[in-house]
Amino acid sequence: MEGSFVNIFIKAAFIENLVLMYFLGMCSYLAVSKSIKTAFGLGLAVIFVLAVTMPINWLIHEHLLSENGLFGRDLTFLKLILFIAVIASMVQLVEMVVEKVSPALYNALGIFLPLITVNCAILSGSLFMVTREYTLGETIAFGLGGGFGWFIAIVALAAIREKIRYSNVPAPLRGLGMAFLITGLMGVAFLGLMGIDPAALQ
Amino acid sequence: MADVLETKVAEPKEPVLAFGKKEKKLLTDPLSENNPITVQVLGICSALAVTSLVLPSFVISIAVIFVCAFSNLFTSLLRHYIPNQVRMIVQLVIIATLVSVVDYVLKAFSYEVWKQLSVFIGLIVTNCIIMGRLEAFALANKPWKSFLDGVGNGLGYGLILIGVAVIRELFGKGTLFAGSPIEMSIIGPSASYWINTAAESGIGTWFSWYANNNLFVLPPAAMFIIAIFIWIHRTWRPHLVDVS
Amino acid sequence: MHSNSYIIRFVLILTTVVALLLSVIYFALKDKAAVNEAIFNKRGIIAAVNDYLPAPVSEMSDEDVAQLFETDIEQKVLDMSGNLVDSLMAEDVDLAQERKKPESERLLPLYVYTAEGQKYYIMSVRGNGLWDAIWGAVAVKSDFSTVVGASFDHAQETPGLGAEIKDNPTFSERFKNKQIVNDGDYTSVQVVKGSVKNPSFQVDGISGATVTCNGVSEMLDRGIGYYLPYFNKIRS
Repeated sequence: MEGSFVNIFIKAAFIENLVLMYFLGMCSYLAVSKSIKTAFGLGLAVIFVLAVTMPINWLIHEHLLSENGLFGRDLTFLKLILFIAVIASMVQLVEMVVEKVSPALYNALGIFLPLITVNCAILSGSLFMVTREYTLGETIAFGLGGGFGWFIAIVALAAIREKIRYSNVPAPLRGLGMAFLITGLMGVAFLGLMGIDPAALQ
Repeated sequence: MADVLETKVAEPKEPVLAFGKKEKKLLTDPLSENNPITVQVLGICSALAVTSLVLPSFVISIAVIFVCAFSNLFTSLLRHYIPNQVRMIVQLVIIATLVSVVDYVLKAFSYEVWKQLSVFIGLIVTNCIIMGRLEAFALANKPWKSFLDGVGNGLGYGLILIGVAVIRELFGKGTLFAGSPIEMSIIGPSASYWINTAAESGIGTWFSWYANNNLFVLPPAAMFIIAIFIWIHRTWRPHLVDVS
Repeated sequence: MHSNSYIIRFVLILTTVVALLLSVIYFALKDKAAVNEAIFNKRGIIAAVNDYLPAPVSEMSDEDVAQLFETDIEQKVLDMSGNLVDSLMAEDVDLAQERKKPESERLLPLYVYTAEGQKYYIMSVRGNGLWDAIWGAVAVKSDFSTVVGASFDHAQETPGLGAEIKDNPTFSERFKNKQIVNDGDYTSVQVVKGSVKNPSFQVDGISGATVTCNGVSEMLDRGIGYYLPYFNKIRS
């Protein structure tokens, strides 16, 4: 089954890139992409939180909420609330732990962590996992892949935005307008990956 | 982004249920001057993915208006009781509850639309507009004002969403409102709508040469269209231009 | 600042209220949603025999659909070697769940629709499109070869491209009168891009949606193939 994990990772990272194909996590993506350094930090934090919350949410969904779970009845209608609660508390927990264990890392990531709670990319990971009926292993692969794709997209956008600062852009398009156009062009470029069959890569 | 989030705090003298100038401003401001998408840069995330068709965009817009207005209202009602330390989680619980309600109602009354929107209904929870308005407005204002602010921001959001969807569906598929009872085929070879309803030389025959442009139904098209919206908006209102 | 006990009390009360509220609303609407879902799935199934229905599916009311299933449709469940499984209704078989089982243990739903003395066999198939699952229903005449219609649906194919398998009625039209058996050999129906060389067994694809169309071909080839043992049994 190892192959299918690689498949899911590649699919989630490139072909179904969360930002470029589903517009997920757009707000922080646009707001924190002004310099590579901050973009790098936020990207890492997203990978980390996705990789931590998705398996937890999978366990909750499978062992607490589902019909075969602990309570023996179908409680999946509460999944939205539980998922977001897990994400919010995990983010806070991670923040506290990182602060205690590694102040340096905390300084690099710290300010971005609260932002991540409302990053749609995180919640969407958990929701996609449910609709696509992933197993625990596939869930982890999807979390890592999705986070990695998000990381690449934001670092690339930040790099382009740093360069474009020296260009003569029409005033109304400066800043936000250009960020949208660049994201659109990156999306078109990523569309080229759509025809790739991950199974053929092995 | 924090600078654009600031809202003028209204004076407490006004009667609670009035609908004066200030209240009207709460509704109209987010439509242009303080538009959540083109000015505040909030809530672009989840819902743009459904803008390839008008019908789902319309449904999502209504859902966002509902959730935004009522989460603002409830948060404002509870604003003196919410402990500051767990503020975020409490807000998220309120939002997630309302979104779940929308989810159940939609599933019960319009199964097909619900199926089409799938995870994107749930993703309204993390729509930053809603959270942003709770933080910036509802925690500091009276319930009625917060409610109006929620409706206004929901409307401003829906306006952009439906604008994008109309362009994408019209040029990408040649139709409008596809999948609903009032589906119309406006341009392209199957422009039946006009041929059937207008006079014999209907408008449809003029536009039937149009070949659907598939780029418009692909996700990046939404980015270009919003960029163009921003361009037009800031040309019209130059004081909104980014100085950085 | 609030004390810790206040925070805990506040959160507990809030979660209790919210959970109760949601449960009440959910259970009040649950049955209606289940009925909607069942009717929606039934519409997808009988869309495959659209031409032979008393009225086109889109014009039938929910009651009409339920009534038709009561009176004119026989529901059967088969195992992989073509034997009937009693005690089960076809609508209870969820293909998404069946696909998780090993191939030899899967169950197959079969709907037999009778109109004007003719029997039509409606098969359910499921496969993968570009992004996610695709599924459909295919109906054949009682010669077990001539396709009388097909309907498709998908979880999230690209609107305007892959999603056309459902949204574009001309796509499912193309399957009519195709053959799935050639001189006793199973051929299935292929979706091909560009030129159709063999119009009895091939249909034209959708431009720009190659992956989805290949998915449809694969789904039909495999999915219809599962039903062959049963058809052979009836025939002999």
